[in-house]
Amino acid sequence: MTTFDVPLEPGHPLDPAPPGPDTSARAISWQGVRTIAVLELRQRIRSTRWRVALAVWFALVGLVSILIGGAFAALGGDPTWSFGLVLMFVLGLGLVVAPTLASTAINGDRNAGTLAILQVTLLSPADIAVGKLLAGWAAALAFLAVSLPFLIWSALLGGTTVAGFFLSIVVLALLLGVVCAIGLGFSALTARTAGSSVLTYVAVASLTVISLILFALTAPLVTTTEEVEVYGVSEEAMAGDQTYECETFTAQREVTHTERTWWLLAINPFVILADTGAQPGLDPRDSGPFEAIRSATNQVRSGPPDVHQECWLDSAPPPTVDDAAPIWPWGLAANLLLGAVGLAVAIRRLRVPYRTLPGGTRVA
Amino acid sequence: MSTPQPAGPGAPPDPPPGILARDLHRSFGTVRAVAGVDLTVRRGSVTALVGPNGSGKTTLLLILAGLLAPDHGSVLVAGADPGSSATARSRVGWMPDAFGTWDSLTAVEVLTTMAGAYRLPAGQGRARAWELLRTVHLDDLAAAPAHTLSRGQKQRLGMARALINSPEVLLLDEPASGLDPRSRIEMRSLLRGLAAAGTTVLISSHVLAELDEMVDDAVFLSRGRTVSSEQLRVGVTERRWRLRTLDGPALQRWASAARVTLHPDTDAPDGAGSVLVDLTDDAAAAALLAAAVGAGVPVVSLAPVSGRLEQAYLSLDTERR
Repeated sequence: MTTFDVPLEPGHPLDPAPPGPDTSARAISWQGVRTIAVLELRQRIRSTRWRVALAVWFALVGLVSILIGGAFAALGGDPTWSFGLVLMFVLGLGLVVAPTLASTAINGDRNAGTLAILQVTLLSPADIAVGKLLAGWAAALAFLAVSLPFLIWSALLGGTTVAGFFLSIVVLALLLGVVCAIGLGFSALTARTAGSSVLTYVAVASLTVISLILFALTAPLVTTTEEVEVYGVSEEAMAGDQTYECETFTAQREVTHTERTWWLLAINPFVILADTGAQPGLDPRDSGPFEAIRSATNQVRSGPPDVHQECWLDSAPPPTVDDAAPIWPWGLAANLLLGAVGLAVAIRRLRVPYRTLPGGTRVA
Repeated sequence: MSTPQPAGPGAPPDPPPGILARDLHRSFGTVRAVAGVDLTVRRGSVTALVGPNGSGKTTLLLILAGLLAPDHGSVLVAGADPGSSATARSRVGWMPDAFGTWDSLTAVEVLTTMAGAYRLPAGQGRARAWELLRTVHLDDLAAAPAHTLSRGQKQRLGMARALINSPEVLLLDEPASGLDPRSRIEMRSLLRGLAAAGTTVLISSHVLAELDEMVDDAVFLSRGRTVSSEQLRVGVTERRWRLRTLDGPALQRWASAARVTLHPDTDAPDGAGSVLVDLTDDAAAAALLAAAVGAGVPVVSLAPVSGRLEQAYLSLDTERR
């Protein structure tokens, strides 16, 4: 039997690194994510502005909640509106604050010269991006946590179910995370922090306001004149002298196919939250804002009815509320997708070694 | 990018270099920052990276640190490709020329954060952080927020940060700027100690005098290419020394008798009492001094006119940009 004696060359390291790609620095690791998240949170928590911001937030949400609650008590109205209004206010305020929490995370660090020293370490791009996202999200959740007492108080006044309350809070938390992720993506794309902040606000405005405007403006584009089924008194019957009777006939009508544009409403964070918080089976005409928004969106989603109701003889049937197919999973999924795109962009842009540098930036 | 194969059985017996770069090129748009760098840095040496502004020093260090991909050429740092290898990352320490600090973190937290980034266990990272704080004499400021540190203290903290993973190869970009003389001397002994323990150090600086006393080798960059690399401790070429005396005419008489060529010292502050002389090494200087003093010339001092690096740098005839 032959044995091979492999001598160790003197002076050579015992563990020569195999040159070539090894993937251990590319994967995501909990330790790496935690290192970055702790770093970011420490910096945030130690700035005094942070505490002031939370205090101002608490005061603002508290004031508005008490005013809403007080208004219903004074006017003797139905307090079911209070939870919806307070939640919408918290969402609106959250959408104003959340962009600032992550939209300068990457370009701000690059400008401050603290990004490259992390990129040369064993941290992967995903570690850095996810760590920064978690820190920004945690900060956003702190604002949500500060508003919780008022949310719980208004929920106790009525206007939602227990399941609806928890679902709304969870979805609201996820939506704030999405805004952070979008901001993170823009902060990786642009060199200047002002640019990424503005872009993030534009993105939030697109989701909340511009989508609504677009929905209204596209209505003429999806409106056509078609032959449709109508249930009512036909023109022939009107012309004749027999007794008016409702029947089904075919006629030319202007039809707006909102089933083609309903997604513009579905991606709206306010619509999503209304859908999660709405109480099932309530008549939208005499319940809270959630039910009103939900029934309007459902109507838009199903588009024109199969048979147009034009019969004025019978008393109109009560509008049916379609609870079978909630909208929020669609809207939330679309938002989460946007957030995932933002995160993916950030990870991609953090990858070193750089082959091309983003315009106007230095490596270090 | 092609990667050189690791040394095979037929490789020369001397240890592989700490840094090996072949024909590196890197452009930013139309600016050719690095245009043909060949670099070999001996393991366990301190090597100066010298060149005028805009000669590509920082770009070269960024490529070596694995932050920039070269357009062309190959690099091995600590035996691995820094661009694609976690192994290389774990073995390289990098201190950039301009770097920020996490303002609200304390000095010790900055270092434990970096230890976490290198995946050191928490306890080990804390121990290493304190060890390094003592090394750079910042242990009494360990709990101070980083933004309260002075520029020189931040620079020392930056050095500690680059050392957190006990790197085999240390890349330093202008590490001495902002340091007071005492801190420079301490940095010098720190780097010499690291080199003696086997760490490869590549250090760039404009201030040649401060590099002079600590480097073994020097690599000169001009317009993005290596123009010369010298082993300064080996084969020192003739240097110019300044000889000062109280009695100029007596020196002249002795010099012509002893056949020593003297050059007029145009920069001298005290005119005729100062001359320049070319000497091959320190032994020649000692012999000259002994002879002159023995002949009764009242010599005040005999010292090199400029540092070895400065002399080498000036002799390169590089064009300033």
